[in-house]
Amino acid sequence: MKKWFENFHENWRHLNRKLKIGVVLTVVMLLIALISQFWTPYSTTAMDSSRVMHSPGLLHWMGTDNFGRDVWSRVTAGSGMTYLVAGLTVLIGFVFGVVIGSLTGYFGGWLDEVIMRLNDMLLSFPSVLLALIFISFLGKGTLNIVLALGLLFIPSFARIVRSEMIRYKERDFVRSARILKISPLRIIVFHILPNARVSLLTTAAIGFNNAVLAEASMSYLGLGVQPPTPSLGRMLSESQSYLFNAPWMAIGCGVWIILIILGFSLISDGLKEEGGDEQ
Amino acid sequence: MNYIVKKVLTLIITVLAITILTFVTFTVIPGDAAVAKAGVDASDEQLEALREEMGLNDSIWTRYTRWIGGALKGDFGYSYQYNNVTVSYLIKTRLPVTLMLAGLSLLLIIVFSIPLSLLAVKFRGGWIDHVISGANQVAMAIPSFFMGILITFVFGLVLKWFQPGNFPSPSENFWGSVGYLMFPALTVAIPKIAMTVKFLRSSIEKETKEDYVRTAKSKGNDEQRILYVHVLRAALIPVITFIALVLAEIMAGSIVAEQVFTLNGIGRLLITSISARDYPVVEAIVVYLTSVVVVINTLVDILYQLIDPRVRVS
Amino acid sequence: MSENRSTTTVNQEARDILLSIRDLTVSFPIRDDEPEIRETILDHVSFDIPRGKVVGVVGESGSGKSMTSLAIMGLLRETARIETGSIDFDGIELVGLDEKTYRGLRGDELSMIFQEPMTSLNPVMKIGPQVEETLQLHTKFSDAEIHKRAREALENVGLEDVDEIINQYPHQLSGGQRQRVMIAQAMVNRPQLLIADEATTALDTIVQARILDLLREIHEKSGVSILFISHDLNVIRRIADEVVVMYHGQVVESGTTSEVLDHPKEAYTKTLVQHAPDVDTLASGHPILRMEHVNIFYDDGFSLFKKREKEQIVKDLTLTMYKGEILGVVGESGSGKSTIAKVLTGLNTCYDGLITFAEDRPQMVFQDPMGSLNPAHKIGWIMTEALRGQKLSRAEKKEKVIAMLHAVGLEESFYDRMPRQLSGGQRQRISIGLCLLTGCGFLIADEAVSALDVTVQSQILELLLDLHKKHGLSILFISHDLNLVRHFCHRVAVLKDGELVECASAEELYRDPKSDYTKALLAASVAKG
Repeated sequence: MKKWFENFHENWRHLNRKLKIGVVLTVVMLLIALISQFWTPYSTTAMDSSRVMHSPGLLHWMGTDNFGRDVWSRVTAGSGMTYLVAGLTVLIGFVFGVVIGSLTGYFGGWLDEVIMRLNDMLLSFPSVLLALIFISFLGKGTLNIVLALGLLFIPSFARIVRSEMIRYKERDFVRSARILKISPLRIIVFHILPNARVSLLTTAAIGFNNAVLAEASMSYLGLGVQPPTPSLGRMLSESQSYLFNAPWMAIGCGVWIILIILGFSLISDGLKEEGGDEQ
Repeated sequence: MNYIVKKVLTLIITVLAITILTFVTFTVIPGDAAVAKAGVDASDEQLEALREEMGLNDSIWTRYTRWIGGALKGDFGYSYQYNNVTVSYLIKTRLPVTLMLAGLSLLLIIVFSIPLSLLAVKFRGGWIDHVISGANQVAMAIPSFFMGILITFVFGLVLKWFQPGNFPSPSENFWGSVGYLMFPALTVAIPKIAMTVKFLRSSIEKETKEDYVRTAKSKGNDEQRILYVHVLRAALIPVITFIALVLAEIMAGSIVAEQVFTLNGIGRLLITSISARDYPVVEAIVVYLTSVVVVINTLVDILYQLIDPRVRVS
Repeated sequence: MSENRSTTTVNQEARDILLSIRDLTVSFPIRDDEPEIRETILDHVSFDIPRGKVVGVVGESGSGKSMTSLAIMGLLRETARIETGSIDFDGIELVGLDEKTYRGLRGDELSMIFQEPMTSLNPVMKIGPQVEETLQLHTKFSDAEIHKRAREALENVGLEDVDEIINQYPHQLSGGQRQRVMIAQAMVNRPQLLIADEATTALDTIVQARILDLLREIHEKSGVSILFISHDLNVIRRIADEVVVMYHGQVVESGTTSEVLDHPKEAYTKTLVQHAPDVDTLASGHPILRMEHVNIFYDDGFSLFKKREKEQIVKDLTLTMYKGEILGVVGESGSGKSTIAKVLTGLNTCYDGLITFAEDRPQMVFQDPMGSLNPAHKIGWIMTEALRGQKLSRAEKKEKVIAMLHAVGLEESFYDRMPRQLSGGQRQRISIGLCLLTGCGFLIADEAVSALDVTVQSQILELLLDLHKKHGLSILFISHDLNLVRHFCHRVAVLKDGELVECASAEELYRDPKSDYTKALLAASVAKG
């Protein structure tokens, strides 16, 4: 354990600043989101007419909303849903993307050609637009959002994994493994994928970034997470009517979304820099 | 030439594929169109009559050919949510606002991003560079709807430069509507400006590390000339592809911006139609949006071919 | 431009020195983020370039030879620092010279050609403007005059169809043509000193010889002094009047070419000059590999829009190799020699004809020591992969791997190292060990030492010979370098455009080549000793 910690400390020291800030920010935000699932300073649902639209102060760090609910409690609890949706989405995209990308990239063939053309087409669409199109097919709702976003992340993962496969499959160390008669599956999993971990992590970080953004946008438009589940996007949309009298409702919620996204985008930028150093 | 013909052919096939895919998906998704039109209180006989009238009992292929035949003539049928209003009328009345918004956004992006990225490169490592890249990082993390809310709050409610929710009609007061649209356009443009600056800066940065820059130095070029004569020429080429991405992003961004600033454009129409299950409208808009993206991409591919000498030959 | 451009007769006492480097010491930061922890890249380097002479600088990677040229041009990276010393160019002190004056010298009095002509030319600029640029920057000629001079410069480097080339982009030219363009743009303004940094390294043997002849010819016509930097002694021998040998940032030895290369004084120079180790064993009479009328094709994979094309790479090859033999296969790039290796190892199955092996398929050692070991795993893991087919316990496998590490001259501690921590020579040792772990007695070495420094090269060849002697290893030795193959192989097969030109015992081939192509290759490679 001590050795692990020393190793961790040593590796951590050499990471670039963007990555460090991104990781710290994301870990802190995740912890807050996790804690607020079990405990928040105030109830997220109980209304209190005596405390309607209080401005931020010692008791309510982010003020209270039009029903007298504590904004901080609602925002942190809502961020849990954001992380959950983003996590599930990236998981779907990651798993299917890695499988499809590995197979098509390593073996090539007509299937590869067809899938990649489809991918290229999907990738030329912004994720919010695609999510909208998928939602027009699937209808609104939390599960549909996860499904739609997950589906639309598959191509970007598949593309990265495929390009890594193509990049490495003609490398001498893979040829050497083929000459040693190691099975293609083992070559993909143990010889190539470990080399692709930085770009996989980068893509995952970008995926989280886009997922958070897309989920918040969909919920803002009223197509994503449905009431009564708390959601940052919908809270923002509701707060818009009180923008003049209680701007903190919108600002607290918006800043929280920005911090979530900033964490992931710093991680992905930092990882890109790390990857660039290696080459 | 051959290349262009091939690209255009691919484009036509792709758009056809999109229409088939969209049509089939909307046909198989749960939810009866007749119910959506007649309302849940309608009796079975009424529904059956409506189905017959709407042609819902024909085979899917017949319905597709009928639909695409109409679509080619600009006829997408009638909306479910508004009685006796054609889809094409709805789109025709909503399109101008969306196009104006997209045009203004693109203008803002071009006007701001090129000088900013040149500034960042010129003072590489200096405080200007740091300020620009820091602002970039934050601007990219702001979701466009929150950006819109912030702009509404600052310019609309505090500074009172415009009246949120009170959009003057372009046909009556053109400049007034442009003035109002500047704010949603800014909302759409700011994150895209950040993206473009970041892309252009790293493209220039990458080129300055190439061997030919060393050769240019060894010939006696100064830094200025190396940047403008040698580096920029190569660095701007990938930007063309990037512009396609930005154009598509503008479309996505304007859907959200229309919602924030209550503009009656295509985006708002799409969202209300999704909620109202107004499938003819949704179908038409989905086909329209995807086609625009595919067309832009094809144009960019062709442009790329014409501009980059490395691709041009062979 | 100076008036004094005629080649003056040099007299032994008062040499006419064009460029004089004295005590030049240059340091670099080891890591970019810690600028004060520095290492010395050039260590009190001193030598002269006499006016109208060709001076060759020879050294292995890391010897500082390229740094010296960049220091002369004032093109060192910003993080580099000149600690001591001076560079005197025709009476001008270059160390600490202001940037504006320096820019006036670059391209005018000093010019340079680089190793990779493809990347060193601007990819999106036509050839004409690239050559003309030097004149635009330094002269006040009219556009017509500039155009005329650029054309002349391109003609002078032996390019045909200059009218066409002027309007082409670099990627439309061949490697040799591109390097000619580089020379033209460096010479167009008639500099006093031309620096050529590994200028022929990326080219094929015969093209390389032509470019060297061209440089020599330009030198004789114009009297330009040349600083020619190379790792290749044969190239230096062909072009240079004087030689400077560098090692670890220091000058080891310098003098006239024949003095230094034929009668080296220093131990390091002696090891450089030594030729590859001799093979002294005999092959058995049992064939280990037989190829009869083999045709090999390039498989371009599947595409929706193109018809599957089969390009023939190797034509009607018939060749037998014997057990315990070292067979050399020689040819230029595109001759099909690596394609043969791919077919023999089973990587390419797109061939017809008969191939029979007496034992298992061969294992292969690759050219690039950076690419042949998986960068994500430790050496122990990589080597254990070779034992996957064998039913052994984990401990037995580890034992075998460690024994193999010893056999290829490495310590046990390498088991836990990552490939990036190893030098090129050490990696090639691992690759060889990896092949032998499979229990295979037949090895293909595809340019296996080409990427290595000369001294490391001979160590790896020694190792291969040693294993050959101890285990009766059969080796198919693929190389573009005739000088290496000559001593190392029993027999040599020469390939050209996918066809076998001739195959004979090494001695016979070099003494009495039968085909014109072999003769041309031998002439270009200027083998000596």
